Amino acid sequence: MLDQFMNRIILPCTRTLWILAASFAPFVLPVLADNTPPGVQLSTSHATPREVEDTTQKAIVRDYSAAWSALTEALVNNDTGALDSAFTGIAHDQFAARVRDQLKTGLSTQIIDRAHNLDAVFYSPEGSAMELRDTAQVEIQVMDGGKVIHSEQTTLHYVVLMTVAEDRWKVRVLQSVP
Amino acid sequence: MRKICYILLTFAVCWFAAYVAHAQTRDLKIPDQVSAGKGFTIPTSGSGDATFYLVGPGGASKRAIHLGDEVKVAPEETRTAGRYIAVLRAGGENTSKTFFVTPDKPAALNFLARPSRVPADKQDAISGVAFVFDGYKNLVLAPAPVNFSLSLDQSAPAVRSVPTKDGIAWTQMNSGRSQGAAQFVAGLPATDVAVRRVVQQVAGDACDLHMKAQNTGKAIVVETDPIRDCAGNAVPDGTIVTFTEVDNHGRSTVDARVKRDIARAELPLSEDATISAATGVVLGNEVHIGNGAAGGER
Repeated sequence: MLDQFMNRIILPCTRTLWILAASFAPFVLPVLADNTPPGVQLSTSHATPREVEDTTQKAIVRDYSAAWSALTEALVNNDTGALDSAFTGIAHDQFAARVRDQLKTGLSTQIIDRAHNLDAVFYSPEGSAMELRDTAQVEIQVMDGGKVIHSEQTTLHYVVLMTVAEDRWKVRVLQSVP
Repeated sequence: MRKICYILLTFAVCWFAAYVAHAQTRDLKIPDQVSAGKGFTIPTSGSGDATFYLVGPGGASKRAIHLGDEVKVAPEETRTAGRYIAVLRAGGENTSKTFFVTPDKPAALNFLARPSRVPADKQDAISGVAFVFDGYKNLVLAPAPVNFSLSLDQSAPAVRSVPTKDGIAWTQMNSGRSQGAAQFVAGLPATDVAVRRVVQQVAGDACDLHMKAQNTGKAIVVETDPIRDCAGNAVPDGTIVTFTEVDNHGRSTVDARVKRDIARAELPLSEDATISAATGVVLGNEVHIGNGAAGGER
């Protein structure tokens, strides 16, 4: 009786579920892949005048990665609150203004963040500020409502200034350069 | 046959006209780089309605335009330095161009001075980091000189000019020989931009700690000479001086606070004792008491 139930009901159902899952995989997996945090590589060999401590290197990688996740979320959902945990000062004000403008005009921006190569160029003597140069691989889509009005896959260069906040490093300047 | 030729020719002319019209709108004539806060115009051609979008790091705008008219980009729209995307949407087709807004000339400084309190006469004890911004809060990446000066009342300032690299200039300076509130200033030459920080210079560690002891019959009274650092500054009131008395009965220790440059304490009476004084990492002289050698110094 149990064997019959297994053979007639459970096994065909399981097979069907597997087939369904496999057929959705091409759609689901890229979405999951886009949500994974971007690869952030940090080099500190050019940092002066202070040597970057191991713990600081780890914190910078963690917090810069988090900042891009926050920026991506803020720009796609038009949510200024997403910026608060990772941005401060000028960078926070600028991106918040962009989000407010997007909200006003019905625009949104999807950033698919592929990779970052960070090079620390300045670490202040007392250890509270760090300047970095970032070479970022990104995909950008600007949307008006549901329509994509601009789409590109590009390499961008940034000058980044991060400062120590309460319990983490926050991005104070994120300025794209030619 | 002639009819077919006419139709084909008409089709070709229409296609060519459409191609030319599209080609004209396709290229947005925008310079690759624009200085922050400078407006500009973008010529368009053709006819009909279109939508112009401008998306930059600090803002986004969208407006309806008429093809054939110039698109005016206002100075307020290009205040933030960075990469911009301009998009012209006409007839369901998008034409886009990216360009950079570069920072304007230096006009503001952020200045970090550390520490706020420093011992006098220490090498490279004070650090200053200046971040140079333009009038729109963009980090100015082109080299610009920053003047640092550190001065205390009635003494010549220590001055240093440092060019920025990637928007940052930094320096390390020696603290002055005298204690007091030093003015640490970072300024942009040829402008009235200057940011001032106060660095409190305090006396360093005591130098040449010296004390004397006296048997009063009830106790041994110990008292230091005025305590000064190696630059001659009186150490602050409240600095702890530890007096230690060692005799046959063991060791007695008293911590005394400096008051008006002098630390004073009473130690238990002893027939034969050795008394020493120390403050921080500095050891003073030793004094031997007893057997007719009261106050004898070692």
